[in-house]
Amino acid sequence: MSRLLRSLAAVALLLASPWALAFDLADLQRQLSAPAVVKGPFIQEKHLRALPQPLLSKGRFVLARDHGLLWLLQTPLRQDYRIDAEGIARRDASGWQRLPGRSAGAEQNRLFFAVLQGDSSGLQRDFELRLSGDAERWQLHLTPRSLLLKQVFSAIDIDGGAYVQRIELHETQGDSTVLRLPESHGEAVLSDAERSDFAQ
Amino acid sequence: MPSERLLPRLFLILLLAVLGAAAWQWHAGAPVSADLMTLVPGDSHDPLVQRAEQRMQEPLNRELLVLVGHAERSQALALSERLAKRWQASGLFEKVQWSLQTDLSALRTQLLQGRVALLSAADRQQLLEQPQAFIEQRLERLYDPFAGFSLVPNQDDWLGLTGLIQNSQPRPANVQLDTASGALVAEAEGKQWVLLRARTQGNAFDMQLPLQVADLLDASRAEAAQAGAQLYAASGLLHAAHGQRQATQEITWVGGGATLGILLMLLLAFRRWQALLAFVPVLVGMLFGAVACVALFGKMHVMTLVLGSSLIGVAVDYPLHYLSKSWSLRPWRSWSAVRLTWPGLSLSLATSCIGYLALAFTPFPALTQIAAFSAAGLVGAYLSAVCLLPALLGRVELQPAAWPLRLAERLTGLRERLLRVVPSAVLLGLLLAFSAAGLWQLHSRNDIRQWVGSPPQLLEEAQAVARITGYQPTSQFYLVRGDDQTQLLERLQALSGKLDELVALGKLKGYMSISQLLASEPAQQQMQAAVAQLAQHWQPLLDIGVPPAALDAEVQQLQKLPLLDIDHVLAGPLGEAWRPLWLGQDGNGVAAVISLQGLGDVALLGLLAEDQPGVQLVDRLGDLNRLFAATQLSAAELKLLSCALILLLLIVPFGFGGALRLVALPLLAALCSLACLGWLGQPLTLFSLFGLLLVTAISVDYAILMRERIGGAAVSLLGTLLAALTTWLSFGLLALSSTPAVSNFGLAVSLGLVFSFLLAPWAASPNDEASASSEGKASA
Repeated sequence: MSRLLRSLAAVALLLASPWALAFDLADLQRQLSAPAVVKGPFIQEKHLRALPQPLLSKGRFVLARDHGLLWLLQTPLRQDYRIDAEGIARRDASGWQRLPGRSAGAEQNRLFFAVLQGDSSGLQRDFELRLSGDAERWQLHLTPRSLLLKQVFSAIDIDGGAYVQRIELHETQGDSTVLRLPESHGEAVLSDAERSDFAQ
Repeated sequence: MPSERLLPRLFLILLLAVLGAAAWQWHAGAPVSADLMTLVPGDSHDPLVQRAEQRMQEPLNRELLVLVGHAERSQALALSERLAKRWQASGLFEKVQWSLQTDLSALRTQLLQGRVALLSAADRQQLLEQPQAFIEQRLERLYDPFAGFSLVPNQDDWLGLTGLIQNSQPRPANVQLDTASGALVAEAEGKQWVLLRARTQGNAFDMQLPLQVADLLDASRAEAAQAGAQLYAASGLLHAAHGQRQATQEITWVGGGATLGILLMLLLAFRRWQALLAFVPVLVGMLFGAVACVALFGKMHVMTLVLGSSLIGVAVDYPLHYLSKSWSLRPWRSWSAVRLTWPGLSLSLATSCIGYLALAFTPFPALTQIAAFSAAGLVGAYLSAVCLLPALLGRVELQPAAWPLRLAERLTGLRERLLRVVPSAVLLGLLLAFSAAGLWQLHSRNDIRQWVGSPPQLLEEAQAVARITGYQPTSQFYLVRGDDQTQLLERLQALSGKLDELVALGKLKGYMSISQLLASEPAQQQMQAAVAQLAQHWQPLLDIGVPPAALDAEVQQLQKLPLLDIDHVLAGPLGEAWRPLWLGQDGNGVAAVISLQGLGDVALLGLLAEDQPGVQLVDRLGDLNRLFAATQLSAAELKLLSCALILLLLIVPFGFGGALRLVALPLLAALCSLACLGWLGQPLTLFSLFGLLLVTAISVDYAILMRERIGGAAVSLLGTLLAALTTWLSFGLLALSSTPAVSNFGLAVSLGLVFSFLLAPWAASPNDEASASSEGKASA
């Protein structure tokens, strides 16, 4: 997990170097993993083939390079998630509850991290990566390598600038998920509340 | 004399017949087995329990679990792939698996079909009792970005049942799926460990297979080391391979050492190459033993061979008895020496056979085999010594070295001088005091693990595999029976509830029960009824736009799903891990096993079984250890019984007083050996007791030899000394074995032999002794 975080930070860092002649995966990784903390709102649209309208959900996220990810879903229901090196936890009335290792879930969380952090080495294990554009406007196209993943995803598209802005997952079954992170910004330190969320 | 011509011919005919039998027995390969479990009592006469045990044993005997570790995951994966290919190509394995290329479409089909039957008990309960919460949580999962991939698209399963089933499937705690390669990977000790599983073609107890697997593994280890990687392996096969190598080594050196020692002794004492012919009875004895063993038991265990190789020392005693008469019988002629000694030889054959056959009445197949092997071997050795060997030695005139006799005379003289200072009664008192003090310190220990000398490296690796994968199988399991599948599943479910409590308390790491995989038919019907009621609660799903018609259609579909039985569910991909647990139908109903992981407290598990109908805890290891302790007592009884038999036998030639003396001496020798074990701090095990049982029989021989005193006290003592030395050469070497059971046996026999030899001179009746001593002086 922390390697994924580091790589996301690296991608962020990469974005800060506009003089690079060719923008490559290492540059992207450096650019994304530069800030210690990235936060902002997210909008998730789940397009299910059978539904006329996408399932829309909104919230905020805090990605801390050295701690993990807080994913705070606000509408249509409130639910807080935390992902760190030890796995995934969900907040209920009595505090954070670690969810037991879920079969496919654990792997997906790793993937989720890798995507947010532009961890190309982590992603390259599972996907063919194709990067285009430059540091200010780049697109990363992922196609799964393994038979197993191919049965789940057909492709993942990620694009952004200084930060990841949009992730689109195309499922083999025909559903897709679009995740938009429109107003992310970097920060040097976590707020006290966020720090205590990671501490528990 | 006609018998001198007839006997060798008759014996040769018998020998040819036995050789023919041996050739027939061995023509289809060596009838030798290394299966430890065939050596211990099959305490269960219940065929179902036996089947369950075999089922639970099989993975141990056929599966190889290997972890390939490297700091870099990609390297570990690449190496695993290479090794898997090499292993598959070796032809040793039925299946080598390092990557799960799961057929997701088959999995999808099974999930969809099993939406009612496969739902876990907890999820079923929520759907039945809190339908509102069930729907709300379904909604949450639809939005949850971390809920994991659902194999079945949402529009085919709006209620999300397949996702729940997917997530409730158990998996080894520490192992994760590497999606890129499909491999199972664990992280530990700063390394990435790829799990490689192989299943062998044959059984672990084929003689060749374990060795081939161990060699292949060694080669793989070397390859891994070159790549900077490390291998941990765990398998019953490796233990079998180790056991076989060790047995082969020990047979070589117990057999070889004893043979060389005895041959050297024969040459030194008799100074004629022909004296080496005394080894013929040994070879014939081994042949007879092996043929009888295979004829009676179908196969011969390697442990029988190891312990049986000590027969060399006893078998050579028969020719020694009459060869040693060459010191007093001048000129020595083979047939006349035999005529002089054969009554004694026959008596000693009878007493030894009684001693060995007493072993056969213990409940241990291992000892029954050894007893049969040894008794048949002794008969063969006796027959060849009496019928064949004299003919082979026909023209030899033995002129043995004089120094052994001088040594024996000095020993007899020493004993006489000692007796003049300290009378026998005082010596006996001292000996009894020594024994009492030794017995006081004796403690007993019994554990099946003494039968296997597992090297620490194998154990460490198995522990490492268990630690890294979190997979810790135990040998204990529950056997659960029911009249039909419904009752069985209900019983499994009830026991699972109790086991869940133990897991929560940390007394048990985990368990697997078919009731975790599927619900009983009544429970499936109850679910189908409950699904119809969900319509009252599914407004939240309608709110996000799920078409009402789709939900209605889904409920109707669920209600029409056929009820699934155990066989059907196990046939699908989800059933794979559970298949070994299902024992199926027999005349009395159906049965299944609950396997246990990471056991803490066996007693607690036994208690759980007590108040549950149809549930039985099978704890073979514990049963065996208890049986060992119980057998110790019956072994002691057998020993006394065999002594009584020998006593009866000896009354005819020696009268009651003489017979009593001849039997009391071996018992005293056994007592002293026990005391010595105490003084040495060695535990008394079942095996040392069996060793002493045997020694009693052998030591009666020495007493008889000393009692008969053909050729004088010194010559008899020399004969006894030679016999004891040869026997000790073979049994004493067993004490060096690295299998605790075998070495224990060897130590007990060695000690017993020393005391038997020391005490044997007292076998002579006091009157004879007085006359013999004057006779000795006269000749000196």
